[in-house]
Order: sequence, then C-alpha cells, then structure tokens
Amino acid sequence: MEVTFKIFRYNPEKDERGNYVTYKIDAHPNDRVLDVLEHIKGKEDGSLSFRRSCAHGICGSDAMRINGRNMLACKTLIRDVGDHITVEPLLGLKVAKDLIVDMEPFFENYRKMLPYLINDSPLPEDGKERLQSPEQRARFDETTKCILCAACTTACPSFWANDEYYGPAALMTAHRFIFDSRDEGAEARLEILSETNGAVRCHTAYNCTEACPRGIHITQAIGELKLAMVTGNID
Amino acid sequence: MSHLKSRKLSLAKRGLSFEMFMWAFTRVTALAMYGFILLGVIGALIMGAQHHLTFVEVLRWALITNPGHVESTNLPEIAPWVSSFWRLIASGMLLTAGSHGVHGVIVILDDYLPKDNQRNWNRYLNMGIFALVALAGLYIIWTA
Repeated sequence: MEVTFKIFRYNPEKDERGNYVTYKIDAHPNDRVLDVLEHIKGKEDGSLSFRRSCAHGICGSDAMRINGRNMLACKTLIRDVGDHITVEPLLGLKVAKDLIVDMEPFFENYRKMLPYLINDSPLPEDGKERLQSPEQRARFDETTKCILCAACTTACPSFWANDEYYGPAALMTAHRFIFDSRDEGAEARLEILSETNGAVRCHTAYNCTEACPRGIHITQAIGELKLAMVTGNID
Repeated sequence: MSHLKSRKLSLAKRGLSFEMFMWAFTRVTALAMYGFILLGVIGALIMGAQHHLTFVEVLRWALITNPGHVESTNLPEIAPWVSSFWRLIASGMLLTAGSHGVHGVIVILDDYLPKDNQRNWNRYLNMGIFALVALAGLYIIWTA
C-alpha cells in the first residue's frame, strides 16, 4: 500500500522554524512507523533525524506524535494509523532537530524524585535480603513498568502550560519508591511532591493514561500519591 | 521484620503544605455541597415545591431569559425559607461553593503563572473577588 508520510522537519543550523515534508512510501500494513522512518532515512533522505534504540517498546527512545497522539514508533503499525500519517516531535519540550526533542528538562524532573532506593537501616540479621511479601511487591508493580519515554508528560496540558511541573513520569517514579516497603525515603519524596509544582498540578485530564505505551494507570497512581500526602498512609 | 511494619507517616513527619491542604479542602467542600443540595431539595419538597414550579415554568426560566419573568413568576410563599436555619444553610452553600470554585480558578490559572509573585497576585485578586461576592451574598441572605 502507498502511505503518505508528512514529517515535521527542523534543522536549527538552517531553519528559522519547522516545516513539514511529505514522503510517499510503499509500505506493508504490518510495517511499523519506525520501519518506514528508517526506510526514509536509509533510502530517501539521510538527513532525517529521530531517536531509536531497542526498537521493541522497551527503551522508550522513539516516542513521537503520530497523527496527533503520543506513541512509540516501534509499537505502532501502519494498519492502525491509516495511509496518511503525520509524524511530529513530542510537545512541550524544545525541538533539537526534526523528531528529536531536548529531554533534559524531563530528566531533571525525574532526578528530583530521588529515583533510587533509600534505606539506611542495618541489613536484617541473616545479612542478605530485605524481605518483601508478594502483596507488598504488587503494590508498586504498575509503576515499575515505566520506560521514561516521556509520552505521558508531553501529553499533559499542565506540563504544556508550565514545564516546571514535574509531570506524570516523574510522579510515577516517586510512586514506584514511595510504595515500596523496603524504601525509607517516602518522607522526603512526599515533601517534594507537596510543592507548588508537584502533584497538585495534576488536574486529572487523563491524557497521560491514554498516551502511556505501557498501559500504566497513571492518573490513578497520581491520585494514590495525593491521598498519601494527605493521609500519610503509604502501605 | 521490616516488611511487617505499618507504613504510615505522621502529620508531623510529612507536614501538610498549603497546596495539599487546599487539595483536601476542595474535596471536602465538594462533598459538603452535595449535602447542602440534598438538604435544600428535601426542604423544598417538604414545603411543597412540587406544586410551586411546573414544567412549563422550568422551561420559561431556563430557555426564555427575561427579567420581567422575575416579577411575573408566581412565588407563592417564601416565609418558610426565612428562618435562621435556612439562612445558615444558604450561607453555608454560598461559602462552600464560592471557596471551592475560586480555588479551582486559582489552581488552573497557576498553571500559566510560573513566577511566585504572579501566583501571589492570582491568589490575592481571586480571593478578594470572592470576599466581595460572599459579602454581597451574605447581605442578601440575611436581610431579605
């Protein structure tokens, strides 16, 4: 089938502003958007720039806007998005070149959540493991699935309005550690989340939940964080 | 074993910022409004509201906005509402709805105001407007 690809192009060394370039490609319905982008880069226009790494929905490198929705190019089949496809960079982050955005503000927010296990207590007497029941592990299982692709954060209207808002992905990181029974850093993280640019900036638009390529119930998890901030219950 | 400990942070440990207090306040006032609405509907029904307002009158009020209708609407009897109890209920509804709504406006506008002084002005301005509206409302409720 012939597919019309309309791709956002921007070269900071040449262009004052971005523009769209259209490519007509012969593709199979089961091809992924990433396959077609690689075909364009390899055969049609080597200057096209986009991020990709594992190409199997795990690394989160190739999040982009496909027909107006945030998706991973490696998990999106041509047959699911039709024969006229518009590909654009993520919203809310500065475009570095073509489909590549500057992810630094996103990762800066991520780092603010203290994204590592905090536990200064001595090891248990057997000296080996901090035990955790299956139920305690299940409590934060959902948010361990986050691959930091930024599809959620860049789909959030609160983040579009104010990029100082930590954003859904950072909040998922906080959720992953706060509800981990082995972690002892909940107090510090809840204090960070209580700031003006913290969890209260989430107005439950649900864009993040819809955009997440991993199917994480992000808005629900943010709700759990807000409740933990008010009640103090992190079980 | 550490995993058997209850994991609850005391208020002293986690603190409660203004933002989170207002987040909780907004939820509580929403619930309070349901209570006030229910109380008002029950009170109105006890006072015979089902006979005071016909479907035709509802349509006329809803669809044909004409100040003349305020005078021509046949309001049979407001005496039962002019008691301290119902004035308190009306005042409660006004204050909870007003504070709930104005906080919603402040929060949404805050999204677009990244600087602290802008956000402070947003709070002062909206809370000031709310205070004026609340005072006018309370005056009407308690002097009608």
